[in-house]
Amino acid sequence: MSPAEMTLIDAARALRAGQVSSAELTEQCLSRIERLNPALNAFLTVTADIARAQARQADEERRGGMDRGPLHGIPIAHKDLFCTAGVRTTSGSKVFEHYVPNFDAAVVERLREAGAVMLGKTGMHEHAYGITCANPHFGAVRNPWDRERIPGGSSGGSAAAVAAGLCLLATGSDTGGSIRVPAAYCGVTGLKPTFGLVSKYGALPLAFSLDHAGPIARTVRDVAVALAGMAGYDRRDPSSARGHAPPLLEDLLPPPAVASLAGVKIGIPENFFFERLDPQVDNAVHFMAYRAQDLGAELVALRVPDGTQLNVIAQVTLLVEAAAIHEPYIRKRRKLYGEDVRTLIDMGRLIPGVDYVQAQRLRRRAQGVYRSILKQVDCLLVPTTPIVAPMIGQTEVAIDGQTEDVRLASTRLVRGFNALGLPALAVPAGFTRGGLPIGMQLVGRPFGEQELLRIGAALEDATGHVARRPEMAADCG
Amino acid sequence: MRDWMAIAAGLKIELDDRMKQTLEGLDKTMLGLRGLIDWQEEPVVQSSVLPPEDDAG
Repeated sequence: MSPAEMTLIDAARALRAGQVSSAELTEQCLSRIERLNPALNAFLTVTADIARAQARQADEERRGGMDRGPLHGIPIAHKDLFCTAGVRTTSGSKVFEHYVPNFDAAVVERLREAGAVMLGKTGMHEHAYGITCANPHFGAVRNPWDRERIPGGSSGGSAAAVAAGLCLLATGSDTGGSIRVPAAYCGVTGLKPTFGLVSKYGALPLAFSLDHAGPIARTVRDVAVALAGMAGYDRRDPSSARGHAPPLLEDLLPPPAVASLAGVKIGIPENFFFERLDPQVDNAVHFMAYRAQDLGAELVALRVPDGTQLNVIAQVTLLVEAAAIHEPYIRKRRKLYGEDVRTLIDMGRLIPGVDYVQAQRLRRRAQGVYRSILKQVDCLLVPTTPIVAPMIGQTEVAIDGQTEDVRLASTRLVRGFNALGLPALAVPAGFTRGGLPIGMQLVGRPFGEQELLRIGAALEDATGHVARRPEMAADCG
Repeated sequence: MRDWMAIAAGLKIELDDRMKQTLEGLDKTMLGLRGLIDWQEEPVVQSSVLPPEDDAG
């Protein structure tokens, strides 16, 4: 079986059973990268030597009786903003084009200690500040379902690599949807964990209070395994939360029987989240809600605070924090920035400090309102994006007779949850008639990942959307 | 409303119409949202004092 046909859990079982070695799996992935990456540009750097050495070590450890857990020997990739000792870390930028850190980011360190094998670093939107991955310095990352379309971003290389079966897991970061949007556009699963659950130490930042690190993989259970390997308190990250253990894998594994969702209350917002959607997205996400109902969940119609206002709060926060982070670089190396990112940083420099402080007060108020909503229901079920993956270079999209900026349309249903810090699990919700993936997200209570993953896994089992692969992935063998 | 062109000129930033419109939109919404602020509450936790570092982690 090739990595394109396997889930991470399939691979972990095969490794444990001795049906495949990590070295074999790693060679298969490297071979697929060699054949498919020229068409996708999902990987910026391939670390074949490191991967082979780590795979050899994993196999030796396993032969010696050591088992580091389900990630032991699994080939993975890291978004190119996570620092990797001795390996270039660009953040998709010219500014850091030659930056070679001498330390590993916390997620790199943790996944390495869990036995994962690093295949390389994935492409991304410049400085993680955008959703197209049309990178002016390293070229556009392409969507495996249609190479003329964007993969979403900013973790577009990670999502494209997982969707095309180039790796079994990839790390991502999410400041305004950057894990969930590419997960939706590439038909894979991504988790933006609760703010503070996964350490951001060693992740090149975009916005201190909005940045989240998380996993992208094919299935919900793969994401659960990855989260267990990535999460946990880290005193090197000031925003790291104490006392919140990662989800218990025993509750999610093994899968086969479809779990009941009896007793689960799922909130379906009547306002904002289902307004101005591509009708195919609307239908697919509602179908998922009805599947949840079939499994025993109670659907609860409710109203949420104005999402447009929450998006403005998040945008003001992002613009100002990103401008502050980039201040030393933009002054001295302005010409090294692509036009769209430079424009956003310039706008952030103009926003008055008083607006930033008021945005934080309003943000805290919104967190209180959502706390009340999530006392009534266990989670919200909403679309991830109102549209499917746009074409590369497309700047506007018509939805419901209204023209909208592609960037704003892609982020309008995800951005608010960064400001709220709530966990949001993006899962496949189906496909358009033309065969493009549609995504939805389950949004839960702070540190409620366990419940989200359980609900997500049940829906995944009931629908089987994750079984469908891009043609190019299947053709490659 | 703020004069974004003047603010930008002060910082030697070139502002095109699209940027100006975005900033005006954010400004307008933020102005409207001030009605939701509880002016009695502490603005926000901006900083906190941590105990001496625990090396045991």
